Amino acid sequence: MNRLIKSIPISILSFTVYIVFTGSIKLYDIVTGIIVSIAVGLITTNIVLENPKKASDPKRFLWLIAYSLKYFFISEVLSHIDVIKRALSPKMSLNPGIVRVPYETNSDYGEALVACSITNTPGTVVVDLDKENKIFYVHWIDVKTTEPSLAREKISKMFDEYAKRIFD
Amino acid sequence: MKKADVFVIASIIVFILSLAYITALGGLGPLPPINVRRIAINYLNLTYNTFTPYLTVFALESVTSIVWDFRGLDTLYETAVFYAAIIASIALYRGVYMDFKKNTEKTGLSPIAKTVTRISLILIPTVSASVALHGHLTPGGGFQAGSIATVVIVLSIIIFSRYFLPIHGLSKNKALLFRSIGLLGIAITSIALLLIAIVLGVNAYIFQNQAKIDAPLSFPSLVDNYILGGSLLFFNLFEFIAVAFGFTIVFLLLSISEEKVKKVTMDG
Repeated sequence: MNRLIKSIPISILSFTVYIVFTGSIKLYDIVTGIIVSIAVGLITTNIVLENPKKASDPKRFLWLIAYSLKYFFISEVLSHIDVIKRALSPKMSLNPGIVRVPYETNSDYGEALVACSITNTPGTVVVDLDKENKIFYVHWIDVKTTEPSLAREKISKMFDEYAKRIFD
Repeated sequence: MKKADVFVIASIIVFILSLAYITALGGLGPLPPINVRRIAINYLNLTYNTFTPYLTVFALESVTSIVWDFRGLDTLYETAVFYAAIIASIALYRGVYMDFKKNTEKTGLSPIAKTVTRISLILIPTVSASVALHGHLTPGGGFQAGSIATVVIVLSIIIFSRYFLPIHGLSKNKALLFRSIGLLGIAITSIALLLIAIVLGVNAYIFQNQAKIDAPLSFPSLVDNYILGGSLLFFNLFEFIAVAFGFTIVFLLLSISEEKVKKVTMDG
């Protein structure tokens, strides 16, 4: 019973994906969707979730939505414009290098969010991480500073702040 | 350009043109017709046709209708061959046991890959179940869904560890149990109407889905105006289970180290 309650957030995610993927909300889809999502929730809950209370906190979801909007419509667009400019300019102003970028988020999901956000924005790629010292090694198309805290400021501070609010 | 090169190019061109000419004349066997063939017209007409209730499948997906109704018996034997292949793999690995008391924290790929894979563990099975449960309506079906679900198994082994699945309760023997349940489900579905017909004292066929002129029983095909596809739904569901766990067994076995397998198989 405990496991069933713990699996509710996962089941909701699974049910949503099922309905979106199926593209139909007839009775058959809803009934099979409920059965499948409960089964998926029960099977994966102990692997996927550590603290189900966090997953059912609406405030965290609102932060997640805010972050998604800001990330996809502002950060991504700005980075793309920057890299397009570099690619098209005759001088090809490149100054590549790998820098240390510390992070503060404490959860696995936060860590993955920050790393994937850095990699997904053009110009920066996380090539390795040091989990013990909480440092990402980031390849940067234009190394503006090698000072870790300043690099964090320029590359991942916003991602990290949101990751803490969503997952920590 | 050398003379030899010109000769090679010219001979290739002559060869292709001759082959095309011979093919066009029917020299390599009869040519496929330009129009849709009669058998294809029949399949398309009979997949869902309320005017021919004794011939139709009452499903919307022609391919699944062919696979599990028109030529269902063929698919049953294909499934049996696949099952026999899995049994053969297990026989080859007899005596090889997986120890699964290892900590998977320090094995596998990076923590980022692991976290992202955790999310995939929810998404991939959900999508595969949808593919299986809608195989009678849209492209897909049991085999495709089972193959999609297997992606989770490969990801878990590579990204976490080969011990990851057994630690979380999916051992080879449990996968074999589910694989057998899937196959049993297929077998029961194929003779379900026949068993009911014996009790009721009416005619029925092996692998019967919808009623025929001399066999009145049918799998439910329409519930509350929703097309269920009769036996196709059950076949897809059980094939999904059978294929997913069949592949799971093979991947679990393949993930055991060669040294360990050789030690058992060579030394006895």
